[in-house]
Amino acid sequence: MIFAPAPATPLARSQLAWLAALVLFAQVPLALYVPLWTAAAGAGLVAARLALPADRLPPPRLRRWLLPLLAFAIAVGIRMKFGYFLARDPCVAFLYVLVGIKYLETRNTRDGGLLVCLALFLLLTQFFYAQTIGAALATLPALLVLGGALAALREAPTDSDWKAPIVRTARMMLQGIPIAALLFVLFPRLAGPLWGLPSDALARTGLSDRMAPGSIGALSLSDDVAFRVDFDGLAPPPAQRYWRGPVLSRFDGEAWTLLPRVRGGALVRADSRTIAYTVTLEPHGRQWLFALEQPASMPRRPADAPAPSDSDDALASLTSDHQLLARAPLLQPVRYTERSTLGIAFPGVGEAERRDNLQLPRNRNPRTIAFARELRGQVESDRAYIAAVLERFHSEPYVYTLTPSLLGRDPVDDFLFDTRRGFCEHYAGAFVVLLRAAGIPARVVTGYQGGQINPDGGYLIVRQSDAHAWAEALLDGRWQRFDPTAAVAPSRVERGLGAALPLSEQVPYMARLDLTWLKSLRLQWDSINYQWQRGVVGFNLDRQRDLLRDLRLGGARPWQIVVLAGGAILLWGIFVLGAARMRMLRADPVLALWSRAWRRLGHAGLRRAPEEGPLAYAQRAARRWPQWGELIARIGESYALLRYGPETAERADLIAALRRSVAALPTARALRGR
Amino acid sequence: MSGAANTASWSARWRQRMWRSEPRDTGPIVLRHRRIYILPTRRGLLLIATLATMLVTSMNYALSLGFALTFLLSGLVASALLQTYRNLARIAVSPVAAGEAFAGSELAFTLSFANAGATRRGIVVTAGDRSVSVDLSAGATHIVQLSADARRRGRQPLGRVTVSTDFPLGLWRGWSYVHFPLSGIVYPTPEAPSPPLPPGREGADARRSASAAEAELAGLRDYQLGDALNRIAWKAVARGAGWYSKQFEGAGGRGLVELDWADLPPALDDELRLSRLTAWILAAEREARAFALRLPGIALPLGQGAVHRRRALAALALFPEHGS
Repeated sequence: MIFAPAPATPLARSQLAWLAALVLFAQVPLALYVPLWTAAAGAGLVAARLALPADRLPPPRLRRWLLPLLAFAIAVGIRMKFGYFLARDPCVAFLYVLVGIKYLETRNTRDGGLLVCLALFLLLTQFFYAQTIGAALATLPALLVLGGALAALREAPTDSDWKAPIVRTARMMLQGIPIAALLFVLFPRLAGPLWGLPSDALARTGLSDRMAPGSIGALSLSDDVAFRVDFDGLAPPPAQRYWRGPVLSRFDGEAWTLLPRVRGGALVRADSRTIAYTVTLEPHGRQWLFALEQPASMPRRPADAPAPSDSDDALASLTSDHQLLARAPLLQPVRYTERSTLGIAFPGVGEAERRDNLQLPRNRNPRTIAFARELRGQVESDRAYIAAVLERFHSEPYVYTLTPSLLGRDPVDDFLFDTRRGFCEHYAGAFVVLLRAAGIPARVVTGYQGGQINPDGGYLIVRQSDAHAWAEALLDGRWQRFDPTAAVAPSRVERGLGAALPLSEQVPYMARLDLTWLKSLRLQWDSINYQWQRGVVGFNLDRQRDLLRDLRLGGARPWQIVVLAGGAILLWGIFVLGAARMRMLRADPVLALWSRAWRRLGHAGLRRAPEEGPLAYAQRAARRWPQWGELIARIGESYALLRYGPETAERADLIAALRRSVAALPTARALRGR
Repeated sequence: MSGAANTASWSARWRQRMWRSEPRDTGPIVLRHRRIYILPTRRGLLLIATLATMLVTSMNYALSLGFALTFLLSGLVASALLQTYRNLARIAVSPVAAGEAFAGSELAFTLSFANAGATRRGIVVTAGDRSVSVDLSAGATHIVQLSADARRRGRQPLGRVTVSTDFPLGLWRGWSYVHFPLSGIVYPTPEAPSPPLPPGREGADARRSASAAEAELAGLRDYQLGDALNRIAWKAVARGAGWYSKQFEGAGGRGLVELDWADLPPALDDELRLSRLTAWILAAEREARAFALRLPGIALPLGQGAVHRRRALAALALFPEHGS
């Protein structure tokens, strides 16, 4: 039997207590993410077992019938709650309860080993939901208890000392940290998932490919971070911070959607207005990368040399309507540097684009179309028309609000002439319809506008509450940005959502204007979180490549890295064992001196037998090297005296004398030479 | 030809180094990395498999913290490996003694474990199917008694001893083989019940088949090394008067027993003869009678005492098996 089997001995009370601690500590961090009744059931089962007297284990009948039945009932309950079972969240919920059931029926140490493994896997699953600093800290109690539980399974503890095993585990964990760090840095990261992700893994907050009245308003209620930006130099003023995202040209009378993508957009030229910055984008499950308008370069990984944008390795591509698209939906944070030229118009790309951006659904919003034609007839140029439309938004009693009234079958008509209450998507949508009706090609652009500079770290935080929609119009063959929201509520663009909305409305906490101490504390916390996100959570394929390059391992082949890692692990082992031995010797200087002496004599050719006493060995050595005989004999005698003799006041002097004698001993080579 | 022989001896040497199948370890053996093997236990394998599952999950869902957790646990497992190694390394094992026993009882072997380092916990010493678990305190030498079933008369070697540990977490099992040329002697099982001792050949004893109970105490003489324990005058010892052995009336004449293989009934087979002779030796000892032993090819002169008894029993134990 090569692999020693775990003996299946019945569990003692102390062992059960350790296992309970491990299971509960693994369950606690997840309790927020599983349905409430499963959280209660999972922990309740553990408590039930603990409440049973130690000698009254569940009878075998209970094991054979009741527990599988219970597991089945819970699976059915979870299926009913979620509406499906074979997906991530229901499975996590089931595992959560299953660990409790397993605990209830754990009878011997072999079951205990299995339970430990289940608990560890459960501990991992909380990272599906949160990878914050708090989530990382929440695993610590379970990790510290793990060593105690394993040691208890090995041999039932006889005393109730629970601190010593935890301290021992912590020490071993610290000892293993170099290994953990090495593996974390060097273990190959994948660009995409190994197998298809269950659909619920993709549901993230963020802009989508469809804009209907209310969709951006809903997004604006979230304080979640969309991305963070480090500027090279000063950040541009808020009114210029338009982060361009999905461009929506197709209109069905109610909702705006994407046109089919056409690759091969042309970057704008760089000039004196061009600024450079680095974006750390949170994963949003879609392909857009956000850039200030207009991008003057392709996004690239921060440490990369300027690579040709059409290479396979390129981070993104540019569509003809200037959307930056990553190569795959973003499931991990991505970091890229980008350059943009602010406030620049860019040329249109032809007749097809012009036609697409004049399209309006037939028989929808007739009042708007009639109004547009009439207004266009009153002014002499397209520009004057646009100015007139914006002036109408500005002077008429339009209200900028997160709580617009309900709109009917012709939503633009209803909004423009009746309710006059709307959020940015209402204004942008109505504006584009008005332009198209007047024969001016126009489209809706969604993205983020503004953002908050974190004084604690000097970077810009863009949140979901900064989501915005504006418009672009093709004038004189060039696309230009117009923001009708700015005409209604200029403060939205200048100072953000909190300034633009009436006080009575629900504004996300961080978007409010007042800078309370609580808010500044949250900004500091965000600054720490940003580092955490960048350094730990965001450590992906790109960051790994950057790090390897910084370590001058950029060109290393996989086998070379494996060899390197193996060597490092070997060194670690030698170091840890050596340090332990050093510690032991330092604790006992007398033993250290004596072992230095006999080692040297051993190297010179006279090995000491392990059971040979100091006096006998010293005599033997003195006979072998008569010219050093007196010294060697003295070393043996003083060691024997210090080790086995009575406690004396001159102990320190004796140790000093022994140290001098050992120092006077010739080297092994000198001894051999004679 | 010589090449083949060379390979054979090379592979034999290699096998010996790996498995220590021959009892060639002499003197103290210090367990070092060359002798120490470490493999995961079943529980360790299960944990490693769990870590692999966690790793694959982290890869698929791109969970950076999942990687961190998995690797932190891997570090713990690696650290446990070193602890297991440290718990075993540098222990010096020496053979001390091998005992004697009658077949069917237990034979004891004694080994000493010198621990120059820190405290070792949960060291399991296994020989055959018996094992002993000991903790070795720092800087001390421990005597460990191993017992084995004494199965057949003759020499019984201790065999290969496995020194193992799964301290501290039970995830790894480290072990070392030591194989000392240590063997105990197993005497034949005494026949029970056995016929009474054959009568002595001379003197009064030939006339009266008196039992040992009738032997009369004649006096005391100074204790000599080798005198039977049951003849020591314990009362005198307890009084602090010194060590004396009891002298029995007629012990020289009446007690003389000749135990002769050839005198046994010819129908008895060899092993039964040995058993009976063993029982008689014990009886002679009990009755404090001197005896001589004669086996084919071996003749022990008349004698008495522990040394004589041991020599006689050993002769019986090592008596060649029929046909061999």
